[in-house]
Amino acid sequence: MIVASILTPLEDLLRHILNALHSVGLPWAWSIVGLTIIVRMLLVPLTVKQIHSMQNMQAHAPQMKEIQRKYKGDRQKLNEELMKFYKENNINPAASCLPLVAQLPIFIGLFYTLRAFAKHPPGGQAAIDRGDFSWLHFVPDITKHANSHWSGYVLLAIYVLSQVASTYFMSGTMQKSQRYLMMILPFIFIPFIVKFPTGLVLYWMTTNLWTVGQGLITRRLMPKVGPGFAPPPSGPKRSSRTPPKEPLPDGGTPTAEAPPPKPSSGPPRRVKRKKKARR
Amino acid sequence: MRYVGVAAVWAYRFTLAPFLGVGQCKYHPSCSQYAIDAYKEFGFFKGTLLAGWRLLRCNPWSRGGVDYARDQKVFK
Repeated sequence: MIVASILTPLEDLLRHILNALHSVGLPWAWSIVGLTIIVRMLLVPLTVKQIHSMQNMQAHAPQMKEIQRKYKGDRQKLNEELMKFYKENNINPAASCLPLVAQLPIFIGLFYTLRAFAKHPPGGQAAIDRGDFSWLHFVPDITKHANSHWSGYVLLAIYVLSQVASTYFMSGTMQKSQRYLMMILPFIFIPFIVKFPTGLVLYWMTTNLWTVGQGLITRRLMPKVGPGFAPPPSGPKRSSRTPPKEPLPDGGTPTAEAPPPKPSSGPPRRVKRKKKARR
Repeated sequence: MRYVGVAAVWAYRFTLAPFLGVGQCKYHPSCSQYAIDAYKEFGFFKGTLLAGWRLLRCNPWSRGGVDYARDQKVFK
């Protein structure tokens, strides 16, 4: 009740943005995608900051591993020691709750907005029949539950895949077990999500795909080892790609070792940094 | 009343948190644990304020670190 009344202005705002996007000629479904992209673009500055600190964390990974090894049995102590280490080394841990939580009202607001849509579609049944709520010719009606048409399951599949992929990209510092849990959860949630309006699945799909794209771009831009950084912790870096299979002329079995890093030509590409890093 | 707050945090943990793709909080204990501690120790209203303030501090420009609810300095 309280939550709903707090959210009403946001709902109105979302509805206005949706309406605005729709009135410039976008179909409703694309308006949702557009709204998602606008939100994510507003969050980009936060993300850039996070990526910088992720880089910093990577550089200090060996020492952090050491701490983790030392306090293996005691989670509490481990966390405290890690935090102390961050402070001593001026590391800004990548994750922070605010950007995550900032998405929360939008999610709930969109949920309400789309539910209102489903109950009272603007234009009424005539608009639905006209196909105002269809998407890409294969989703007939985004206000209906995701399980009301096979296309909903396609979107669900994309949602789950993108969720797993975005977890992969965003969970750099997460513990393994936690990471696996995060990857399993979308599957557990499928039975609930099928009852969501398809438009909401569309939103999550878009936002996850954005995360994945962002991850791919930053991986490319991010120098693996910047000047002045310690060499990478140990062995080949975990990467989403399978190591390239190099043809072996003598027909020998490929070794398990990753190929040595190629010397980059020219100056190392650097992510544009703010003028003064806080030291 | 304070357990309404605790219950809300648990509900968040089980329902919405997974959707948001939760990473590790930069503070210790994490924001949600801090909220639970704050509710238990300071009651619903102060707990909400403390948890909200903590969330605001848990932004990309802050440093993070060890920060227990019982060490708060907002209320005397």
